Amino acid sequence: MSEPPSAAGSDVMLEIRGLQKHFGGLYALSGLDMVVRRGEIVSVIGPNGAGKSTLFNVITGIYEPDAGDIVYQGLSVVGLRPFQLVKLGVARTFQNVRLFPNMTILENAMVGQHCRSRGGVFGSIIRTPGVRTEEARIRQRAEEALSFFGKRLSGYRLEQPAFSLSYANRRRLEMARAMATDPQVLLLDEPTAGMNPRETLELRDHIVRMRDELGLTVVVIEHDMRVVKGVSDRVIACDYGQKIAEGTYEEVANDERVIEAYLGTKAAG
Amino acid sequence: MEARGWARTGALAGIVTIFLALVGLIGEFTDVYLIGDEITFAGLMLVLPAVVAGMVAAAPRIEAGVRRELRVGEAAVAAAVAAAAAGGVFAVAVLLTDLIGVERIRTVFIKISPQLMDFLTFGRSTVGGAVIIVLVSTAAGVAGGLLRVAPPSIRKPVGTALIVTAMFGFLQRVIPIMFDQLVLERDWLYSPIYDGLTWVGALVVATVSAGVSVLYARFGGQVRESLSGGPRREGSAISPLWLIFGGLAALALLAAPLLLGSVVSEVLGSVMVFALLGIGLNIVVGYAGLLDLGYVFFFALGAYSLALLTGATLNAYGIPPEPVISGSLNFYVAIPIVMLIAAVAGVLVGAPVLRLRGDYLALVTLGLGEMVTVLIASPWLVPLVGGPSGMRGITDAAIGGISFRDPQNFYYLALAFVAIAAFVSWRLAASRIGRAWTAMREDEQTADAMGISTTRFKLLAFAIGGAIGSLGGALFAVKIGSLTPASFQVLISIQVLGIVILGGMGSIPGVLVGALVLVGLPGLLREFEEYRLLAYGAAVVAVMILRPQGLIPNVRRSRELQDEERLQDEWVKTVKEGETPGEVGTVTGVAP
Repeated sequence: MSEPPSAAGSDVMLEIRGLQKHFGGLYALSGLDMVVRRGEIVSVIGPNGAGKSTLFNVITGIYEPDAGDIVYQGLSVVGLRPFQLVKLGVARTFQNVRLFPNMTILENAMVGQHCRSRGGVFGSIIRTPGVRTEEARIRQRAEEALSFFGKRLSGYRLEQPAFSLSYANRRRLEMARAMATDPQVLLLDEPTAGMNPRETLELRDHIVRMRDELGLTVVVIEHDMRVVKGVSDRVIACDYGQKIAEGTYEEVANDERVIEAYLGTKAAG
Repeated sequence: MEARGWARTGALAGIVTIFLALVGLIGEFTDVYLIGDEITFAGLMLVLPAVVAGMVAAAPRIEAGVRRELRVGEAAVAAAVAAAAAGGVFAVAVLLTDLIGVERIRTVFIKISPQLMDFLTFGRSTVGGAVIIVLVSTAAGVAGGLLRVAPPSIRKPVGTALIVTAMFGFLQRVIPIMFDQLVLERDWLYSPIYDGLTWVGALVVATVSAGVSVLYARFGGQVRESLSGGPRREGSAISPLWLIFGGLAALALLAAPLLLGSVVSEVLGSVMVFALLGIGLNIVVGYAGLLDLGYVFFFALGAYSLALLTGATLNAYGIPPEPVISGSLNFYVAIPIVMLIAAVAGVLVGAPVLRLRGDYLALVTLGLGEMVTVLIASPWLVPLVGGPSGMRGITDAAIGGISFRDPQNFYYLALAFVAIAAFVSWRLAASRIGRAWTAMREDEQTADAMGISTTRFKLLAFAIGGAIGSLGGALFAVKIGSLTPASFQVLISIQVLGIVILGGMGSIPGVLVGALVLVGLPGLLREFEEYRLLAYGAAVVAVMILRPQGLIPNVRRSRELQDEERLQDEWVKTVKEGETPGEVGTVTGVAP
């Protein structure tokens, strides 16, 4: 997790080949290909219903693809359950924030460390030194993850229930929880939705910090083009469950098909 | 408009009184004296609904979103209207009964007896009796209403005194035993003739409890603050106050059988068995959020596997008394094996229902529980568990000549197991396992997406809950020494669930209190044995309406419930826009 950002751009982290997923007659993904390299920030853009969230759900094992392959660090992960992917190092946030509302902020983040700990039933009952050390480590890691967002999620807030947080802080907590799983790849589903312009800019910097300071590979679904422009090493545009353009922000923003997909309204921004 | 609301409240109370009379809660208890030879349980039942109606009518109004306490005069009028309506409705019922003829009604409602009518008419003519009923009800209701609007400095001590005195009256079979055990004079407190409290005793009890209440109101806050060192932080470690409370509770638990003698200890033994079941089910329902209605499965499994492992014999006739499978293990060797069997069974039962949630899970587990009852009674399993006639000769778990079939000794054995189970449950809840359960309960899919194997933790909950439940079954077997399928009805599942819900889901002290209230009280109040299930249902309904988080709630669980409540409130607000706020006050429950 604390590996330095890799200079080797060719180091493939996640490769998606011909991914298909349909719900009844609706093709949410129809043969999508994409590659994510270690230590880069890839933005996935596209109009509503382009299949972006479905992509995340398929990658993280919530849905099983109908065809195609997902290769994560050389390993096909199709058919694995969501919790197994977290264990392998793929963590995510949800488009509609999904926290454990009645657990405290600290506990929410501590849940993230679950997959990196192994205290069993008997150890937990007796509280063996091993379990106690582990529990302390879980807490420390959780606090570390929370402190990524400065003071917003620490201090007195640690013990407050998650539902008491403001909307923006809930999003931050969700990201902190994902970061507490010690991931290598972080999938952020519209992290700035519902945030005000200042918070959005702040989050833009945070996403860049995730790459630069924590060495994370980030895939972000985003609608706010300032964010996309500010963070992306590469941008992938989707429509109708397929990749329609890929490249730097400028390249994608000026792509005919992308402009068409957005009806020329947003790509100009 | 308002008066109509009050009258409606009163009429409801009157109907409740009629109900109480029909089921016999008045007629059967005309000679159960609570205080002196004047105040009987029947009398209390007769006026109690009116008192409650008075209190409800005098409850604060919510006017334009602002809570307003009623003025004294206003409250008295409201309470009088409500209570008079209550008395009126009941008086009409009495008159009608007389008109139709007691004997004719009795063919259907067997509890309506001439003696009851005598009691209800105060030995006068029916009309005279009816008038008295209305007058007495009204007076009682006004008293209740006035108490409701009295300032807290009066309301709290008086209320406490009334409740405590009534409790002392009810516990007339228990508290005197305590005095006897301590070799204390008790005739001043409980009348040797009428069994209930003497007036002097009642006065002393009332005064002392009122005094304690006043002292608590004055110094309670200070004491609490100085003990906990400032206002308590949420989720902080155990405060000294809780330590003191816990210590006192532990002392009371340890001393109880010595103070209360073997009859009460017998009941307390059952309480402990059910507490054990409650702690086990609490892991499944309270922690992991899996609604299991078939918990009797583990209870039966524990009891029968202990019986088989320790060499109990069959009760059936015409077949050899040796079961097909029979061990001859010592109780303490058998227990871990029983728990292991139950844990494995928990996984086996849990595996097929993993994908089910909420109502579906409840239904399937209910069926599984019912299957157990059928199986152990079936002819097919007679060679193993004796069928309907069951098994006998179960070990008494003796150590060094001390038999644990003796109620007092059994209590300590059960208490030890409860303590261990509570400790295990508490430690698990506070570990990463407990966190995983909580996360899973709050949002299963998200828990999965955050790295928690929900399959594994569901099965773990079933296994641990099952193991603790089987322990309850094993102890139950030791307690009664013989087993029949009649002891393992689906009702047990419901009862244990009631204990968990009443106490507060996810709360271990809550389970103990729940078991004490739902198993202990009915056991102690033997006269009420017949009404046990009625009271049980009433208690659960009352708790669900008045205190949905349970008697001693788990902080987080109560937040979850309040969340739902908040949503409900908002929903109600949008739906019921325009309804007068005054009426909302009289609606006792909101059922969306």
